[in-house]
Amino acid sequence: MSENTELENLELKVNGVSYPLALEIDRNLSGVLRTEVGLTGTKEGCDDCECGACMVLLDGQPINSCSYLAVQAQGRDITTVEGLIDGDELHPLQRNILAAGGVQCGFCTPGMLMSAQALLERNDSPTEDEIRIGLSGNLCRCTGYAKIVTAVQATAVELRS
Amino acid sequence: MSFAIASSVEEALEALDSGARPIAGGTDLVVGARQGKGGLPESIVAIDRIAELAEIGVADGGLRIGAGVTHARLMTEPAVVDRYTALADAAALVGSPATRNVGTLGGNVMNSSPAMDTGAPLMTFGAVAELRSTSGTRTVALDELWTGPGKNSSQENELCVALVLPDLGERAGSAYVRLEYRRAMEIAVVGAAATVQLDADGNFESARVALTAVAPKIIEVSGIADVVAGKANDDALGALVYAQAAEQATPISDLRAGEEYRRHCVGVMARRAVEAAARRASGETIAVPVNRALGVGANA
Amino acid sequence: MTTTELPIFNRADGPDKVTGTGRYAADISLTGMLAAKFKYAGIAHGKIVKIDTSAASAMPGVFAVLTADDVPDVRYSAVIADRRLFAKDVVRFEGEVVAAVAALTPELAQAAVDSIEVTYEELPAVNDIESALAEGSPLVHDQFDTYGVTDDTRMAANDAYVSTLSFGDAEAALKSADIVVSGRFVADASHAVPIEPRAVVAQWEGNKVTVWTSTQVPFDARNGICETLEMPANRVRVIVPHLGGGFGGKCGFHFEAHIAALAKAARRPVKLVFSRMEEFLAPDRRREGMVIDITTGLNSDGTIVARKAWIALDNGAYCSDSAFFPQMAAMHVLGPYKVPNTHVESHLVYTNHQPSGSVRAPTAPQGCWAVETHTDELANAVDMDPVEFRKLNCVGTGDAGAMGQVYEEIALQECIERAAAAAGYGQDLPENEAIGLAVGWWPSFPGASGSYIKLDGDGSGQIITGAQECGTGAVMTLPYLAAEQLGMQPEDFELVYQDTSAAPYDTGATGSQTLLNNGRAVQEAAIMIAGQLKDLAAEHLEASAGDIVLADGAASVAGSPDRNVTIAALAEIAGGGELLIGHGSGAPPDYPDNAVGATCLGDQGVAAWVGPQFMCHAARVRVDRDTGVARVLNVAAAHDNGTIINMTGATGQIEGGILMGIGQALTEGTQYSDSGKQLNAALLEYKLQTSADAPEISIEFVQINTPGAGPNGAKGLAEAPNVPTAAAVSCAIAKVIGEPVRQLPMTAERVWKTA
Repeated sequence: MSENTELENLELKVNGVSYPLALEIDRNLSGVLRTEVGLTGTKEGCDDCECGACMVLLDGQPINSCSYLAVQAQGRDITTVEGLIDGDELHPLQRNILAAGGVQCGFCTPGMLMSAQALLERNDSPTEDEIRIGLSGNLCRCTGYAKIVTAVQATAVELRS
Repeated sequence: MSFAIASSVEEALEALDSGARPIAGGTDLVVGARQGKGGLPESIVAIDRIAELAEIGVADGGLRIGAGVTHARLMTEPAVVDRYTALADAAALVGSPATRNVGTLGGNVMNSSPAMDTGAPLMTFGAVAELRSTSGTRTVALDELWTGPGKNSSQENELCVALVLPDLGERAGSAYVRLEYRRAMEIAVVGAAATVQLDADGNFESARVALTAVAPKIIEVSGIADVVAGKANDDALGALVYAQAAEQATPISDLRAGEEYRRHCVGVMARRAVEAAARRASGETIAVPVNRALGVGANA
Repeated sequence: MTTTELPIFNRADGPDKVTGTGRYAADISLTGMLAAKFKYAGIAHGKIVKIDTSAASAMPGVFAVLTADDVPDVRYSAVIADRRLFAKDVVRFEGEVVAAVAALTPELAQAAVDSIEVTYEELPAVNDIESALAEGSPLVHDQFDTYGVTDDTRMAANDAYVSTLSFGDAEAALKSADIVVSGRFVADASHAVPIEPRAVVAQWEGNKVTVWTSTQVPFDARNGICETLEMPANRVRVIVPHLGGGFGGKCGFHFEAHIAALAKAARRPVKLVFSRMEEFLAPDRRREGMVIDITTGLNSDGTIVARKAWIALDNGAYCSDSAFFPQMAAMHVLGPYKVPNTHVESHLVYTNHQPSGSVRAPTAPQGCWAVETHTDELANAVDMDPVEFRKLNCVGTGDAGAMGQVYEEIALQECIERAAAAAGYGQDLPENEAIGLAVGWWPSFPGASGSYIKLDGDGSGQIITGAQECGTGAVMTLPYLAAEQLGMQPEDFELVYQDTSAAPYDTGATGSQTLLNNGRAVQEAAIMIAGQLKDLAAEHLEASAGDIVLADGAASVAGSPDRNVTIAALAEIAGGGELLIGHGSGAPPDYPDNAVGATCLGDQGVAAWVGPQFMCHAARVRVDRDTGVARVLNVAAAHDNGTIINMTGATGQIEGGILMGIGQALTEGTQYSDSGKQLNAALLEYKLQTSADAPEISIEFVQINTPGAGPNGAKGLAEAPNVPTAAAVSCAIAKVIGEPVRQLPMTAERVWKTA
């Protein structure tokens, strides 16, 4: 058991890369990802875990990084939207959400993609309602969700085949 | 500030002894701090990596659920879904997939909000909380644990390590139903849990009903067992349950709902919970959560 | 569906947005950058007795503390100059900025803000529109007479602006009508709620300032900085990185000048990022609360003969672009109906609430909700089916509307039929379900707009446009229009946009106007380049310029396709000296002949509509009778928005608009405390619809050739789908429970109380 006061020295592993950091204990994960780590794809849209723009994966499971202490994420695999792309190849979710027209302003998109990715990891053939429930922690004001749901359905089919 | 990650209950208890506060998913603590509802504690011990707290096991014919078990697991764990279905109903309604993923049963119970979803089901099971400190372990009944909104009778150095659910016996069933304005991302406006036992003829033998968000803490409706005894699961029984629950509720008016509406709706929720619990007790499968399976409120 | 084969539109900003590399204003960091925080009034109404910033200024790490004393004393606003950057003497709503701080970190800036002591003499809050109009009400602006308003239409002391519309003799016609139906409808205020809370970054270089900001209207933002900080336009550059949604909430000029002033005082770049709560409380943009009294007279055959209405709109503490709202509200309460006798009186009323301003189709969803709910009551009163009643009374091609405007080529009647058919209107439904149907309308807004196009020596093109992209994809449609004129492909063009120093003026992402106005400007610029290409090709191919055809990336001689030269080759030739540069400002179409017969006081220029858009939505709704919770199961939408150029973008607007409309119908409403403060300035308590709530949506476009519409016959689109959804839901709920719910949103509790 390690114990520190004020600045905590730790490593965060983000998209497979380790970042040695010294952080105040009360820093939230989204803030650290956006500043110290330098990945601004993770967005902040609310104060109370209601919008989902900050969604990242922790060991493959979705969390609201705005309300998660960065120090608590040490030793876990953190995946942000920047980690979805494979070289220059868009992840099927990224490709399909563009093809379906599920991106408008794009501010909810990173969080939405992370929730969709987590959903498909645990359920490779979700029903439409399972997709809708699975994405319900990610608010989108532009699209009415229809084209996003279509993109997730298309991705599920693509990944199964 | 100080922060530590405990790898065992013992490590966590030592940290509590020296003044640390436990954090599991942080869904209540960190959100509260961000909203300015009080800063983070000076010293924090993370308990989300303690394997023992994530265990679910049989105890005296009942079930012992580790405090660190997440809502996401509760809603799919066969032992919970099959025998303590109301708890799975409740866990499936908490927040979003992300909150269910990090939020824990122990965190929900010890946050002691009168609007917590898992509280009413646990109360109707007659569950007890197992609190542990460096000086020992004790069990506390939930109506003694919760003392008011956000308040409980645990000591600062005590950690809730498990909730212990007794055996519910033969022909038992349970359900949790809540009023919600949307199909997801909701907090209970009011809710009700019911656990019932049927006799060999399919009539009620007994029932317990507890209510969410209509009093300073989760409350159990008194006298329900007498009301239902020997009766069939029909509209007349439902009306009696409605009346009993609505009468005992002491709701407030706030921006989520007015007092009169809350009182009415908690009666409706109690009626629906008893009805669904009895159907489950008779062997019918109603999928989790019952809100979505039966079309309650926003799921109509 | 009336569709032809349409090109697939790829969003130019798409890959940037899905990979997380796209930068929004809050993502920008500059060396030496400080953090800004605001000190807000925190009370709805009070006299400022004293502001003590000494403790804040003395804090280590604090670089600037500003109040009204530190900036030019300028009163400004779009129509009525009634506000300043910082409150001076009086605060008039809880989110009013009293002071601003720039410090090393957001935490330090907040600590400094918290140390600022402001002493108030609290004044009674004007918390209700109707009592605000009563004799003896406390005044929100007791110095209104000094604001230099030339068009003073006020009837009561807290009126900001009043509009009346009168046609024929409503009084007399109501007296002689066979049936008269009256109703009162009250709509709560609501919010735009873009998912991106706003952010502003400002940096000075010498006497010039660059401001990165999340605005829908970069030129308005620039002009606001120029006006309040007394600077010429060419020294202020406003750049919008990707914009995370707007819906009107980011129209207007807000906090750009505060941050520019802080950066100047601190001699450092400064960044402001709003929390969600600030986004709810502080901007001058909120959908107006409304009270609507409406009375309609009918002949026994169901024909509408007269309508009288009285409307009050909650303007909040200051007047932004809201001065045109009373007239818009009046138009919406008349609706797209043939009403021969009308009299509407519409008040924009000052209160001590957050100011109102354009949010997606301002006044329309509430006005449509009231009038369409009322229309179903009218149909019931003459025992007619609501669809038949609308077909009888709604305007069609060649009909005169309630203002006297005669509509050429419109498709409202067909929209009604198609929406009803798509929804399965008339089918047997379970007793707790019903289909409600509502019609709506919305104008297209002609305006000034400019664009440049250049073709470089390699034949690739750039469109340098003043247009602003807020997610709708409207800007992404511009390359298509340029390519069409030049025989090129949309992918041949890149966009340079959202930079006031690079591009000519455009009104911004407001009023659904991008394609309508900037599309015309781009077409004009492309036509100019087409002329240059044809001249070059004529010389090269030894033909007459008039015979040159541009197609498939090449110029050729008409009738002799073998005589051709690629556009790239021509661009290379031109690159040697002539350069291919086009510009356009596409003159907006004239307003329809203003032979409008109505008497119209407080006319803000919208009495007649250019390129009017019409729509009909039919919503199937199920109500949990025990709790009053309503769920929308599906919505069928039929729209006349003229020609559709980008089908994916168009359906995306409609789907999003419908869901926003369902939110307004059921769960989105701002609640105020007795002291005039917002009670639900958080997303848990102000409930947007989630993916799990979204119904099935079907969309049909009735594409007709509307005279005076935009490029290729396109009309505006982004606001229209937000107009009739709440109304359709209302009509369905009323059918299920037997009584209309007269308050918006129609929350579960309100439905339950009504039933």
